Amino acid sequence: MRYSEITIRFCGIAGDGIVASGKILAGACANIGLHVMVNNIYSAEIRGMGKSSATIRFSTSKLYSMGDGLDLLVGMKGKESIIDLRDVKAGGNVIYDSSVIGDVEEEDSLVSHITPEIQGHGLPIQKLANEATGTNQGKNLVAIGAICYFYSLPPEMFVDQIKSVFVHKGDHVIDVNIKAFNLGYEYFKEHYPLNNQFEIDKSSEPRALTSGNDAIAKGALDCGLKFFAGYPITPATRIMEIAAKELPKLGGWTLQMEDEIAAIGAVLGAWFAGKRAMTATSGPGLSLMSEMINLSVMAEIPTVIVNVQRGGPSTGLPTKVEQGDLNIALYGGAGDSPRVVMAPSNSEECYSGIQLAFDIAEKYQTPVIFLSDLFLGQRTETVTIKENIDRDRCTRKKPTSEQLENFQRYQITDDGVSPQIVPGEPGAVYSTTGLEHSVTGNPNYEADVHSMMTAKRFRKFESMVSDLPEANILGDETAEIGIAGWGSTIGSILEGMELAKKQGIKTKLIKSIMIHPQHEDSFRKFFASCKKIIVPEMNYQGQYADLLKSRYGITPIEIHIPSVNPVSPLKIVQKIMEASSELSK
Amino acid sequence: MKHVIIGAGVAGITAARTIKELDSNAEVVVIGDELFLPYRRCQLTEFLCDSIQRDDLLFFSIKKLNELGIKLRKGEYVKSIVPSEKVIKLHHNEVMHYDKLLIATGGKPGLGLVLRPFKKHIHFYYSLYDTLILKEKLPEIHKCTVSGDGVSCLDLICILHNLGKKVTYITRGERATFGLEEDDFEGDLHEFLEKKGIEIITGEQIVSVEESNQGYKVETIQQKTLTTDIVFAWDFYKPNISFIEGSAIEKKLGILVNTHLETSEKDIYSAGDCVEIYHPIIKDYWINFGLPNALEQGRVAGMNMSGQDEEYKIRDTITFNLMGKSLKARWWK
Repeated sequence: MRYSEITIRFCGIAGDGIVASGKILAGACANIGLHVMVNNIYSAEIRGMGKSSATIRFSTSKLYSMGDGLDLLVGMKGKESIIDLRDVKAGGNVIYDSSVIGDVEEEDSLVSHITPEIQGHGLPIQKLANEATGTNQGKNLVAIGAICYFYSLPPEMFVDQIKSVFVHKGDHVIDVNIKAFNLGYEYFKEHYPLNNQFEIDKSSEPRALTSGNDAIAKGALDCGLKFFAGYPITPATRIMEIAAKELPKLGGWTLQMEDEIAAIGAVLGAWFAGKRAMTATSGPGLSLMSEMINLSVMAEIPTVIVNVQRGGPSTGLPTKVEQGDLNIALYGGAGDSPRVVMAPSNSEECYSGIQLAFDIAEKYQTPVIFLSDLFLGQRTETVTIKENIDRDRCTRKKPTSEQLENFQRYQITDDGVSPQIVPGEPGAVYSTTGLEHSVTGNPNYEADVHSMMTAKRFRKFESMVSDLPEANILGDETAEIGIAGWGSTIGSILEGMELAKKQGIKTKLIKSIMIHPQHEDSFRKFFASCKKIIVPEMNYQGQYADLLKSRYGITPIEIHIPSVNPVSPLKIVQKIMEASSELSK
Repeated sequence: MKHVIIGAGVAGITAARTIKELDSNAEVVVIGDELFLPYRRCQLTEFLCDSIQRDDLLFFSIKKLNELGIKLRKGEYVKSIVPSEKVIKLHHNEVMHYDKLLIATGGKPGLGLVLRPFKKHIHFYYSLYDTLILKEKLPEIHKCTVSGDGVSCLDLICILHNLGKKVTYITRGERATFGLEEDDFEGDLHEFLEKKGIEIITGEQIVSVEESNQGYKVETIQQKTLTTDIVFAWDFYKPNISFIEGSAIEKKLGILVNTHLETSEKDIYSAGDCVEIYHPIIKDYWINFGLPNALEQGRVAGMNMSGQDEEYKIRDTITFNLMGKSLKARWWK
């Protein structure tokens, strides 16, 4: 068969080299100019105790999501891979370890669950790995060698990648891994000579790979991040790891705090002192931060909080994706507590979006919650990031000399934004508090002052709209079926729209990195042009749909997927087709 | 009742169907070593020359398997049988229990000690997999060297010739006979082939096959050297039953069965090209091969496995149609 797109999943237990398999395959494919997307799923338990999988999709065309179904499942551990068989497409393939030591009962055997629609291929993974490395390691390379032959991929692209991945481990490790790769390749060549063809454009240039978390960290560093404080939490820890490594090189600091409350406290302190600062967390951490976010609102101290969403509530599903934190991001504060909420949909938007988050937070003296999610944060994908490096940028509204003379930290202005200084700046006193306050920052509980100050804090959100990007409308503008999505679900929506187009159904999508505030006129105009509106998202409640319903008075078809895996484009197509058939009645 | 059938060819699948038709509650698992759904091996040549499409080869569809509730496990093979425990062990160490077992693994070509080291340069023409590989290579092939015996060998030579390839046939014998009753061929098969343009080298044997700049270099025992684009060779064609080694199942060349297709071990049956059935006239066991026999043996085995009492009626010779001529074959004799 000829392929221009393939999805492969390695499945085993933690310690099987599953993530490394994805890394090697993805790196190799990106190096020859293919578009790649990798999604790792692993258990929350420690090494050796839980299931782990890496799904790699590569294509000659741009990818937006992980797509639907697997062309190949590599079951490194048989029993753990059985459930993944349901994801293998009809006509798809399975590679299983045929050199398992000891008897395996029928019900525990991956092979016994392979249906006739799928093709199983035995590969003595363990045996060949032992032969190559003298240990149990190298199993993943045996499988990759077999894959290389199976899809007629150029072996040299993998050899280069193996050298690159294991360079820090020395020549011996490189040599034995290349040997493992070659043994897998030769085994398949001998036993399954009838292979498939993957179309490769040899003139393609190598592509860069990054993850959403990496892009957020890089974007923040490139726009002047000076201070990071955080507390490790899956799936956001990677951002802190990068900050810890890179910030000292740029004269900045990273602090690991005792918990998330302390982390955001430190970040507020840094912003108070005039430094661009950020924290990164996930749902449980965001919950803990809610009171300090209120302080940011009340004291009008900027802050940037990245929330890489995972399944919840509580400790929930630490290693699974969900978009369930929209409500807490929007409304999770006591009192009238407005905040900016943004949600990037891909790694490019993670980079550019976090820079916008800093600019808005600083200019409008407000908390910005940047809602990524586990799938977006941890997936690796080929991207074209347009770098924007300006580490000295400052969007703070500084007082004029006249304003400085009689400095009012919370001066009432038309746009709601008051001039801000850095404490200790000559000529003015910077007084701030979490209590309601007068224009000078002194506590004040009078009704008219509270009304005035609340209105001021909300007025900033009207003013900032002109600084925000317009919503994007994609697809066929004449379509009667409109889709509104947010975050990483956008990728699945785009692929679902493409599939619907192939079936002759026109659709259009409105997407914006801005969840709140939004360019509301664009949304109103879009919704007015649709006869059917679909809102898919990865949560049980339909949190974005609720926002749109209350804001725009629409009655959408909602797709609520409390998900552990990224949304399937087929689910989107299904709803599109239902909407289409209703329209044609 | 769990019926396990080793072999997804015509005999195995027919037995599976028979069992399910007699008892829809029976659990039936069919294990086939090929990567494909059950197909008609006898039509591979038609597929090779594009007379039929790949789907036309299908003997049993997924839909039919699902309808009957037969579980097919493709691309797997059995490593050993332990009749005393009623278990089989598959190649990947999976242990499967059975109540009744049918062995219907057919026969397959093989290489002797001399040619075995050159296996990677030698093609068989036996399975759909072989045919798909050959089909892919056909446009690049001009000269073919063939060495082997039996109807399938003659079939291969004919199709290669009909596809416009130059064919050289190497045989150890003094003449090319392919194990056929030449009397039925209205004359001399050897001469017939030579007249068609087939080069026949007699009294010879391939001893090495190496890759060369012009394809492959073939050397014979009498130090003759040929260049060719592809080499087809097999030294024998025999029942595919090596996995019964170590069990007490009686065998000669094939598994020995009575006319109820029962082996020497309780609850183990055998059918198709891998069995030798006792022939009351010749007073010996013989292999009763070919599609009609496989169908009939599969049916009889399935019935007996389901508790019926059915006897297999032996057929003496099999008749083939080759290039419009009717041929009889002796096969294993």
